[in-house]
Amino acid sequence: MANMSHNNLNAKLVLLGDMGAGKSSLVIRFVKGQFLEFQESTIGAAFFSQTLAVNNATVKFEIWDTAGQERYHSLAPMYYRGAAAAIIVFDITSTDSFERAKKWVQELQKQGNPNMVMALAGNKADLEDKRKVTAEEARIYAEENGLFFMETSAKTAVNVNDMFYEIAKRLPRAQTSQNPAGMVLVDRPAEGSRSSCCA
Amino acid sequence: MDETASYPPIEPSNFDLIVIGTGLPESILASAASATGKTVLHLDPNPFYGTLYSSLPLTELTSFLQSQSQPLTPENDESTPQLLTLPLYSSIEINSLSSEPIENSRKFNLDLSGPRVLLCSDSMIDLILKTGINQYMEFKSVDASFVGDAEGNLGSVPDSRSAIFKDRSLSFTEKNQLMKLFKLVQGHIGKESGEDDLISEEDLESPFVEFLDKFGLSQKLKSIILYAIVMADHDQDNLENCKDVINTKSGIDRLALYHSSIGRFPNANGPMIYPIYGQGELPQAFCRRAAVKGCIYVLRMPIAALLMDKDGLTYKGVKLVSGQELFSNQLILAPCFMIPSRLTPAAQVANSYDVGRRDAKEMVARGICIAKSSVKPEAANCLVFFPPKSLYPEQETTVRVLQLSSNVAAGPSGMFVTYLSAMCKNAVEGKKLLDAAISALFSLPICGNSENNGIDKLSEHTDSKPILLWSALYIQELTMFQDSFNSISFTPLPDEHLHYNNILDATEKLYQKIYPNEEFLTQTNLSDESVDDDSSELD
Repeated sequence: MANMSHNNLNAKLVLLGDMGAGKSSLVIRFVKGQFLEFQESTIGAAFFSQTLAVNNATVKFEIWDTAGQERYHSLAPMYYRGAAAAIIVFDITSTDSFERAKKWVQELQKQGNPNMVMALAGNKADLEDKRKVTAEEARIYAEENGLFFMETSAKTAVNVNDMFYEIAKRLPRAQTSQNPAGMVLVDRPAEGSRSSCCA
Repeated sequence: MDETASYPPIEPSNFDLIVIGTGLPESILASAASATGKTVLHLDPNPFYGTLYSSLPLTELTSFLQSQSQPLTPENDESTPQLLTLPLYSSIEINSLSSEPIENSRKFNLDLSGPRVLLCSDSMIDLILKTGINQYMEFKSVDASFVGDAEGNLGSVPDSRSAIFKDRSLSFTEKNQLMKLFKLVQGHIGKESGEDDLISEEDLESPFVEFLDKFGLSQKLKSIILYAIVMADHDQDNLENCKDVINTKSGIDRLALYHSSIGRFPNANGPMIYPIYGQGELPQAFCRRAAVKGCIYVLRMPIAALLMDKDGLTYKGVKLVSGQELFSNQLILAPCFMIPSRLTPAAQVANSYDVGRRDAKEMVARGICIAKSSVKPEAANCLVFFPPKSLYPEQETTVRVLQLSSNVAAGPSGMFVTYLSAMCKNAVEGKKLLDAAISALFSLPICGNSENNGIDKLSEHTDSKPILLWSALYIQELTMFQDSFNSISFTPLPDEHLHYNNILDATEKLYQKIYPNEEFLTQTNLSDESVDDDSSELD
């Protein structure tokens, strides 16, 4: 959910796309500035966060990883809920992954909020000689479906930060949230039975 | 994307544990096993998470209820024993008085096992915090609790000092008595061991209702404490016939839990909270945690058959409808499944599922009502308790009611969803209990079949009572029909309680039975759970 306070915006961002398209690599490049040639399938980290400064405001991205639940089309609705932005990732060397990306866009349009900022990332742009999906084809698809498109390379870092920066710029500032907001539970010692409503 | 056939084959094909069903207990178990490094495959034949603990759109809810109300007749193929569906729900009664709820079906998140809330200090909250899944969920406070009667009058529940202070329906004496009782409870739980007991050992073992009598509490206050705070199901004033007499010790424990829940979280303004988007968020959150630890998730994947060893009695694995065979050391099943009786050990064959069910002693009647205004105008999310005898003289059990608004995404803006439940011995009693509570709280939109009959009734309270637009009533079994045997275990059914404590206890016991040497969900080290660019906390 995108919540604003004092020019600070918290925005939930989700990544979608085929196994192996490079979702985690893009995030790790963005958050840690690293790239691993043989990134293991996502296990172990559920959350990343990174803050960007855009136009006198800061945007803190809370980035959710699929945790592998996309492999058998079993992402929980919880994953999409309240997302302010989504990056749909495909691998430019695989037409299959591009087709699958289109399905993820449909899925998001069905489940997500209409104000969601959606980016289409044609990843592995460094593998030009193995390219199967043209930039033109992807750009036309993105335009027709209300996404913005960039070709990225988690390996060489091309366009990675730019894409997150562009999302940050596009996030609606005065979020008229359609989603009900509640409290996040934060652990702290229970204060016995003192009633807070007395205060 | 529901093309099961296009699923890539599941890899690997051997697991430590296969779990079928994504209800809360199954999800907690998958999460616990994955956390200790076990390889876990978590399957669900349904296209959604949560099984018996899910929150569903309106039309999905009714079709799920119906699908779980008939036993699936197996084809008689001796070589491949099938997994059967246990008919858990009966006497399903859907009453659609307006088309508006159905037209907005997808905007509802209806709990299948409501009403249910979380007490801020209960063990479920501790588990949520310990496992770090608090990051995945948001909650809202339940605004208030009320005690109701047959006319639909809702009296407030003075459950904290400030509430007692503000309550104008209480006399000065009553306020003093309540204050004294709450103080004693606090003293009792706060005492160091070795200090003089404030309450004698003998008193602790005696019925709580007698303890309250000694305090000189009025019938009204006794009723509030017993049914709205301690949340007793059965009539405590009728000790001879009461199935579940609450003794003073557990009465005080429950009072203490209630009190320590007030103020535990700075933003929660009462003892109870409810997850936005419904109870179905809990299993999803545990599944996500399991996935983060390597558990593999496959929805929409029915099981074609169980694979047994040559002896026909030892579990080996499962065959999916996709044809793939998968093997595991252990199998955990949601309680909506059953195994053909010829596979169960001889001792259990007696209660043959094929012939009919064992005489179920207890059931819970559940109801869901949709209306366009609140049962209590000043409260969006609230609880109502109808203690025994409050609705009609023969009423034996409490009817519990939880109303939720669109601010927890229970339904579309402007609609209210009300859950009801009551324990009962049979469907007739269950329906009578719920019907009585529904007619105390709601009025019907049109007078139905007869012209004269309804009109007089309606005119009395129509102005103040919400008009019922849609309702679903159903009876759910509470008795487990099957026990674990060899490598197959069954998770607990959603119980009659308003909280998760007993379900959680049963789940932990089951885990320890399967993995006696493993720890049950230890504290999550936050640093390996999330990668953060700074140390600032989410607010």
